[in-house]
Amino acid sequence: MKEINKNVLKDASSRLLFDMTEDQYDVLEKEFAILIKQMDLIGQIQGVDDFEPMTFPFDVTTDLLRDDIPSEPLQREVALQNAKDIVDGQIKLPKVVG
Amino acid sequence: MSYLDLTLADLHQALVAKKVTPLQLADEALKRAKDNKENAFERFMESETFAIASALKEPEVNNPFWGIPFVIKDNFSTKGIETTGSSNILNGYVPSFDATVVAKLLAAHAVPIAKSTLDELAMGGSGTTGHKGPTFNPFDPKHERMIGGSSCGSAVSVSANIVPFALGSDTGDSVRKPASFSGLVGFKPTWGRISRYGLFPFAPSLDHVGYFTRSVEDAAIALAIIAGPDIEDATSSHKPVEDYTRLLKKDIKGLKIAVISEVIDSIHNKIVIAAFDQTLAALKKQGAIVSYVSLDKQMLGTIFPTYLTLCCAESTSNNANLDGIKFGPRYEGKTYQEVMQKARTAGFSELIKRRFVIGSFALMRENQDVLFLRAQKNRRKIVDAVNAVLKDHDVIYLPAAPGIAPKFSESGDRLSDTYLIADNHLVLGNFAGLPSITIPIGFEDKMPFGSNVMGRAFEEALVLQVAEKIENATGYRNLSVKAVNL
Repeated sequence: MKEINKNVLKDASSRLLFDMTEDQYDVLEKEFAILIKQMDLIGQIQGVDDFEPMTFPFDVTTDLLRDDIPSEPLQREVALQNAKDIVDGQIKLPKVVG
Repeated sequence: MSYLDLTLADLHQALVAKKVTPLQLADEALKRAKDNKENAFERFMESETFAIASALKEPEVNNPFWGIPFVIKDNFSTKGIETTGSSNILNGYVPSFDATVVAKLLAAHAVPIAKSTLDELAMGGSGTTGHKGPTFNPFDPKHERMIGGSSCGSAVSVSANIVPFALGSDTGDSVRKPASFSGLVGFKPTWGRISRYGLFPFAPSLDHVGYFTRSVEDAAIALAIIAGPDIEDATSSHKPVEDYTRLLKKDIKGLKIAVISEVIDSIHNKIVIAAFDQTLAALKKQGAIVSYVSLDKQMLGTIFPTYLTLCCAESTSNNANLDGIKFGPRYEGKTYQEVMQKARTAGFSELIKRRFVIGSFALMRENQDVLFLRAQKNRRKIVDAVNAVLKDHDVIYLPAAPGIAPKFSESGDRLSDTYLIADNHLVLGNFAGLPSITIPIGFEDKMPFGSNVMGRAFEEALVLQVAEKIENATGYRNLSVKAVNL
C-alpha cells in the first residue's frame, strides 16, 4: 500500500479535480492516521481474501423489455436549462483542440 | 390538538370524515415548517403545496396518502424545484423530472410542503455538513445535540409534528440512526424494494430509499404505496408488492429473535441496555423465542472501515458528473479542467473532499487490492455471517445506537468497540440489503433512543410485525417533541 504523505493526498485531490488548503491537508493527514489503523483491521481478518468480492447485496436479474411505446424525448431547452454558458443550443466550453 | 399531531393512519380517518381539508393541513404544515428553529429545510414548496392541496376535494377512502402533507429530502429530484443535496455545487440545479418515489406520492395525492436539509450529498451522519449549516435536534431546546444524519431535516419534520411522513435515504444508517435520536420510526426496506430513480447516487451498492413515520402501522401503510418495480431503475425488484400491514395484529408466538452478543457487549450505557432488556422480556412474554448468538468480534470491528472504504470509493466516481458545466455555478477557466477544478474546489465542502480523497486513495492502483477489493471481500464475509444467523432466526434485534444523540462537541475514540461496532452495526442492513426498522424504546435526559429489527430480504411484513409488538410494549406510538412535552 502507498505510504500516506501530503504529496500523495495532493495527487489524489488533483486527480479528483479539486484543491484543498494546506490546513485541510493537515487535517486529512491526521484523519488518515486513524483510517489506516481501521483499514488494517480488515487485513487482519483470517481468510478474508478467500471470499469473492461483493459488489451488490444480491442479484436483481431483470430481463424484461419495456413495451415499445412512442414517447417524446427530453426537449433540448429542458436538457440545457441548468447549463450556464450556452451558444447555439450547445454548452460552451473552453477550446479543447488547437 | 391539531390534526398534524395525528399519525398518518389517524389523519387519513380525519380527512375521510371531512373534519379537516388537505388545504387546511397544508397551510398549517407550512406555518409549522416556517416557524421551526432546527434548520430543517432547504426550501418551502408553497406554490406547489397550495396548488396540489386546493385541487383535492373529495376524499379517497382507500387511498391513505390522499391529502397527507409530506417532506422530501433534498437529494430526491423534484421536477421544476431546485434540488441541491445541501451542496453548493448544485446551487440553482432544477431537475427536469421527479424521482419515482416522489412521483408515486404525488400520484397518490399526497401534498409536498418542503425539501429538507441533509449532510452534504448524504455523505455524513451528523446533520452538520450541509451548506446551510447544522440541523438541530428538536428534543434538545439548547441545540447542543445533533439529530444525526444524513436525513436530518426529514427527521425534524416528523418528530416536530410538521408532517406525519418524510422521505429519506439510507446508505449506512442515514434514516435509522436519526430515527433513534429523535424518537421516530425509521424504515429502510430491502435493497431494490423501492425504486431509486431520481435519488442522487452516493454509493449505489449500499443506497436505499427510506422514510420516517411516527408509528409502525404508518411505515407499513407507506411501503405499499411507494414500493414496486420501475423500468427506470434496473436494480428495482419485480417481486409483487404486498399488504405490509397484514401481519401487524398477528401474534409472534414461536418467532425466533436473535440478539448479537458482541453488539450488546460493546454498549456501555446501562439505561439503553435496561430499556432494550425490557422490550426483550415483552417479546418473550408474547411467545417469541429469544436467543443470544455470537459473531466474530474481530469481524464486527471491521464493519466501519469496510463501509467507509466502499462508500468513499463508490462516491468518488458517482459524483464525477458534478463538474460545474452541465449544471451548478459556472466558473471561468482557460481549459475545461480548470473550469471543473474551480467549480469543484468552491462547490464541495471540506468533509466531502476528504471523503473523495479517501475513495480515490482506496482506488489507486497500488492500493486497490489491499483496500477496495479486500473491503468488498470482507463485505461478503460479513453478509454471509449475518445471513447464516437469519437462516435459523426470523429477525435480528439490537439497540439502534450506543446511546442518545451526541452533543456536537463530543468526539469518541474511533478505534473503540463502542464506535466500531455499537455505533455502526446498522450498516449490516446496507451490506446485505436487508429490511431494517428503528423504533423508539426509551429516554435518557429527556432524549429518546431506539432499537432496531432486521429481517430477511423482502420479509418486510414480518419485520414490521415484530416492530409493532415492541411499539405496543413501550407505548411509544406517535411519539414527538410535542407529545413528550404535554
